[in-house]
Amino acid sequence: MSEPLLEGRGVAKYFGAITALQDVNFRVNTGEALGVVGDNGAGKSTLMKVLSGLYTPSEGSLYFDGKPVRFNSPRDARKVGIEMVYQDFALAGNLPIYENIFLGREPGRKIAGLTILDRGLARQMAQDHLDKLKIHVKSIDQNVEELSGGQRQAVAIARATAFDAKVVIMDEPTAALAIKEVGKVLDLINTLKSHGVSVIIISHRMDDIFYACDRVMALYQGTNFAEAPLPQTNRNEVIGWIMGTKGHTEGFAHDKVN
Amino acid sequence: MKNLLIGSAILALMSGTAFADTYVLAMKGPGAGNPFWAAVEAGAMAKGAELGVEVVVLAPPSESDVQAQIAQIEDQIAKGVSGIALAPTDPNALAPVVDAARAKGIPVVFVDTRGANEGITFIGTNNEVGAGLAAKFICDNVAAGSDVAILQGIITQSTGQMRADGARMALEGCGLKVVAEQTAEWDRAKGMGVTENILTGNPGLAAIFGSNDNMALGAIEALKNAGKLDKVMVVGFDANPDAAASILAGEMTATIAQAPANMGGFGIESLVKLNKGETLDAWVDTGTVLVNSANAGDYK
Amino acid sequence: MSSGGNQKVLKLLENYGIVLVLIGIMAFLTWTQPLYFLTAENLSNIIKQNAAPAMLALGMFIVIVTAGIDLSVGSVMALAMVSLAILDKSFGWPWYIVIFVGPLVGIAAGWVNGIGLTWLKLPHPFIMTLGTLNIARGLTNLVTNAAPVSGLQPEVRYAGREVYSLGIFDPPAGIPVSVLVVTVSALSLWFFLNRTNVGRHVYAIGGNPQAARVSGVNVDRVLIYVYMICGCFAGIAGLLLAGRTDSGFPNAGIGSELDAIAAVIIGGASFFGGRGTVGGVIAGVLIIGLMRNGLNLNNVSVFWQQILIGVVIIVAVYIDVLRRRAAVRK
Repeated sequence: MSEPLLEGRGVAKYFGAITALQDVNFRVNTGEALGVVGDNGAGKSTLMKVLSGLYTPSEGSLYFDGKPVRFNSPRDARKVGIEMVYQDFALAGNLPIYENIFLGREPGRKIAGLTILDRGLARQMAQDHLDKLKIHVKSIDQNVEELSGGQRQAVAIARATAFDAKVVIMDEPTAALAIKEVGKVLDLINTLKSHGVSVIIISHRMDDIFYACDRVMALYQGTNFAEAPLPQTNRNEVIGWIMGTKGHTEGFAHDKVN
Repeated sequence: MKNLLIGSAILALMSGTAFADTYVLAMKGPGAGNPFWAAVEAGAMAKGAELGVEVVVLAPPSESDVQAQIAQIEDQIAKGVSGIALAPTDPNALAPVVDAARAKGIPVVFVDTRGANEGITFIGTNNEVGAGLAAKFICDNVAAGSDVAILQGIITQSTGQMRADGARMALEGCGLKVVAEQTAEWDRAKGMGVTENILTGNPGLAAIFGSNDNMALGAIEALKNAGKLDKVMVVGFDANPDAAASILAGEMTATIAQAPANMGGFGIESLVKLNKGETLDAWVDTGTVLVNSANAGDYK
Repeated sequence: MSSGGNQKVLKLLENYGIVLVLIGIMAFLTWTQPLYFLTAENLSNIIKQNAAPAMLALGMFIVIVTAGIDLSVGSVMALAMVSLAILDKSFGWPWYIVIFVGPLVGIAAGWVNGIGLTWLKLPHPFIMTLGTLNIARGLTNLVTNAAPVSGLQPEVRYAGREVYSLGIFDPPAGIPVSVLVVTVSALSLWFFLNRTNVGRHVYAIGGNPQAARVSGVNVDRVLIYVYMICGCFAGIAGLLLAGRTDSGFPNAGIGSELDAIAAVIIGGASFFGGRGTVGGVIAGVLIIGLMRNGLNLNNVSVFWQQILIGVVIIVAVYIDVLRRRAAVRK
């Protein structure tokens, strides 16, 4: 198999007396969609924060493209191409779409520590980017607060991918969406994959995992529990993993009435 | 249609002439809530009626709002009024706008409080003499060498300065000890608070001179609360009706009457004289009189 | 394409409809005081009277955009005023240094506000600036012994006092230098907020500080800059007022912070941050200034002025509430 794009070996994270992660091994390949499941407190968010540079691991090491890396801040992770899409989108509703996409990385001329904005360029780049991702909005000048939940999610994903992202981590991407918007976001994930971007999806929704992902891994009480490529598992097994049990087959299905 | 035209022409004429003789009395603080300024206002309005001129009375919302007073004077200058009688909230800050009035040929007099500009008649109390009168009363009525305190007004205003100086000099001159001299900014509530503090530090206090009645009345409240009203003599300045009532009730002992109505009246009269080309004295003394239980009834 | 154009027109009206209000007020005042309102002298009076308040409002604006508040601007203005007056009068410093003392004192005060908010992690700028309000006022009274310091060098007074008659106007009418100071400050602020990245970050912090943070914006550092800008403008206001009154008097600016807040809110900025324009702030200052001038010209008691301004604030915010409700329904 080709080398994994992003890998963590023996990752542990302690917060004082609390062990959030213990001896976690993780890998995602180029152009792969990985689902990460686990109950509340299993360590999913913590692992993602380690991968995106918000936390540094207490033990263990990270590898990107085969080389060891160390992230001291989210900026370092972004420089390498790891981006995060947050559960509450983390967008500024009072600003237009194109400003949100480039927030913190605005294009323009740098003079004396300030950047003089090139609005024309920013709007052009934003429009091109949204077109590439097949995201449709009325106008990129709309303020984000005027958008629906699904459109905001799309803008958040667009922000994460505006600068040549290689790995995009998504925290519960469809949790806050209406039913008919979920499909669009899942299609967006497929579009990303087709552009060679790796996607990591934390989700509780089995339908999403089984639609969009290539592989799924489960964390339980802060450590690896189970892992399988999608074709080799089923919903009930994965639900069982979340609860800390293995070996569920179709026979134990809760939704089948004999 | 023709009536309408004639009517509006007359109106326009009237509005033209109505502004021909408008005199402005710009007080330091509003007449509402301060009987002193209310009397100044009344005196000016009466004199205006007597002389047949229009008198406009203005005041900033509080005695420390310098910017509001400057703006008011500026706007009146723009209206081309016939004269301004001014009690400046801050003599230095108002100096530029007074110069602007004179540059436009509008006569100015200062009432009650001296301004900083030279060559302008001051109409008001000789506050030093008046405070000296109050101090002499205290001297004659407390034991030699006793402790006394002075409540100052806003010390940056000449009124405040002169009353405090006049009182201090006379009190020390007759052998009394001025153990505390603090500002209560002409305010009754602050007078009460400052007196409470002074009492705490000076239990043997024999008398308090309040630079105005408001502060003196505040001091009386503080003395009542401390149960010391019979031990400490309080003398005020202004002889406003509240003070007169207090004297008749046996609480305040004496006060100094100014003639605020004279200030307003002489102010308007002087401006009219200036417009007629007459010259005035540099200082028009409006007079002071000691008020005690004998004559307090006149000031109610 | 055309929907984008419609969008832009709506946004323009939203942000600049207040100019129509301003024109309406001026028309009304011309009607009630035809002889005096629209004269060169009265108009330049209005500008002179509102230059320092305009500076305070501009500084308050950038703070309010971050969903903060600065209650200390009036006291900082007074502190700046008396500092420059003392250095001019009592210490005899040359004018080309004295004119910078005002803004520098203001920047220092703003830095203290910013540090208190970010390093000490005080819960809300209301608390920190309430503290600096009292500290600055106390310092002002302390260094002057509560007495004004008057008689400044003419060069120091220049910005606050000088009026260009340009040969067309009769003094005291003319173009006051203070309006040039305000205009340059307003344009600089506008450029900073709309054309630079840090300026956009200021709006982002007001809209969603978390979004700014995860985008790599150093929120604490930007907030410190914002309060320093506010303090700097308060210091400039002190210089203008010192020039106008030829003195640094310790009672200056008592309550001015509330007028500044009123001007910002009337001008359309949202109290909750993230919204507002520099033009709106200037319009808000002018609305209050015009109202005051109109009432002065009509010899109306100052107490009515206070009541009217209070009513206008409530009406302005209510209109904003209605507008926002309508926008959400879209």
